Amino acid sequence: MIAYARRTWIVLWKDLLVERRSKESLNALLFFALLLLFLFQFALGPDRERLHAALPGLLWLGFVLAGLLGLGRSFVAERDNDCWDGLRLTPGDKSAIYLGKLAANLVVMGAVEVVILALFGLFYNVDLVSVLGPLAVVLVLGTLGLATVGTLFAALTAGVRARELLFPVLLLPVQVPVLLATVSATQIILAGQPLGDAAAWLRLLAGADLVYLVIGLLTFEFVLDA
Amino acid sequence: MSARATRILGGLALLALATGLAAGFGYAPREAIQGNVQRIMYIHVPAVLTAYLAFGLVLVGSIGALATGRMGWDRLAGAAAELGVLFTAVTIVSGSIWGKPTWGTWWTWDARLTSTAVLFLVYAGYLLLRAMVDEPERRARIAAVVGIVGAANIPIVHFSVKWWRALHQPSTILGPESSPIAGPIAAALFVNWVAFTLLFLYLLLRRVELARLEDAWVPETRR
Amino acid sequence: MMPDHWGYVFAAYCLTAAAVLGYWRHLVRRRRALDARLRRVKAVVPGKAAIR
Repeated sequence: MIAYARRTWIVLWKDLLVERRSKESLNALLFFALLLLFLFQFALGPDRERLHAALPGLLWLGFVLAGLLGLGRSFVAERDNDCWDGLRLTPGDKSAIYLGKLAANLVVMGAVEVVILALFGLFYNVDLVSVLGPLAVVLVLGTLGLATVGTLFAALTAGVRARELLFPVLLLPVQVPVLLATVSATQIILAGQPLGDAAAWLRLLAGADLVYLVIGLLTFEFVLDA
Repeated sequence: MSARATRILGGLALLALATGLAAGFGYAPREAIQGNVQRIMYIHVPAVLTAYLAFGLVLVGSIGALATGRMGWDRLAGAAAELGVLFTAVTIVSGSIWGKPTWGTWWTWDARLTSTAVLFLVYAGYLLLRAMVDEPERRARIAAVVGIVGAANIPIVHFSVKWWRALHQPSTILGPESSPIAGPIAAALFVNWVAFTLLFLYLLLRRVELARLEDAWVPETRR
Repeated sequence: MMPDHWGYVFAAYCLTAAAVLGYWRHLVRRRRALDARLRRVKAVVPGKAAIR
């Protein structure tokens, strides 16, 4: 058990360290978030009402798009640098690698989402501070849903032809329920209603997250061997 | 399954389809509210049921492939997925054609059509993935994982879409089958469903056989 | 009372038949191509190309 946790931690620590040193993913993602802001504004036009009505959707669209870029790169470093066999030959339960990668992705996604939230609040003049608590709950559950499947599919497509196309094509349909749930819950929260009103959606998200996580843990070693 | 048995199954399927056609147009009456447009349901409902059967088999094949490592399970999964996508497309197109005169629009984001469309996208992606991997063992493992995720997601999609629709539009009175379903209509639906299932099984057997022969054949050509 | 839309009914049934028939023909064609390749190899290398 301790060895498992330790292996998970090593993968997490290595990825975060690489990220902190090179800063290539995080910087690009943050810049991408800024660009999205402008893109959404230009696409929807100057009508403030329309933008505000679409805000929950735009927020999660931003998270998903950033997630596609960030998660898709989860295993690129290992693949490009011939470290894949190193992963395969790790002793013990391979699912620790999945967990470590998932944790690293959650940290990066979390950072990007906080920045996107802040930018949204600033540029679109939305009061997010008063609903920060409930919003954080939705964010955590939604990001888990995105990252659990995203990390698994990233490993899966790592060595496949046309992986940059295949990864979004595979991930997005699976993310539909997560997207529906998070946007609906966010809408409820931004309307000022209490978190309890979104309880059904949150339960769906939690259930889905659990299912995805379990499948990821169980099937990751098969993905590695492929 | 022997070639002869498969041919017999094909003949049975053809017979059943003909019977279904007769039942749908001869035996079943003109529906009271929707008129004869309702007869499209004798395609739409059996097709969606067959699609779910197909995707269930994809799950079985995927789990089998991972659990045993034997390629037969993967061949089942791949074949079932192809047929599942085919029948899902039939479901969507027939549903859309039915919707135009009934609801006035080619597409509507109602729960069933939306769920079916998402299903289509998931398994179309699955087929795309299979096409991108050439080595059979590798393809089997990778596809199996996606197959399991896709199948596990089906109930999640169903509920999320249902709740999403409940928020945005009250349920329409004009459902694809009005309730309660009249006797002859139910009978015609049943016959057509049996026919579609037989057709599905026949096509599945042929597809699996084709995959088996191709898998055995390809290594020979590399000499 | 809704008017009959036989055109739509006809379209739905025809498209379905076309899709199913098309897929079946695709399977048959692939099988024939496979058999043809097998026959060619068997002619050149008798007994070598065995289908397990």
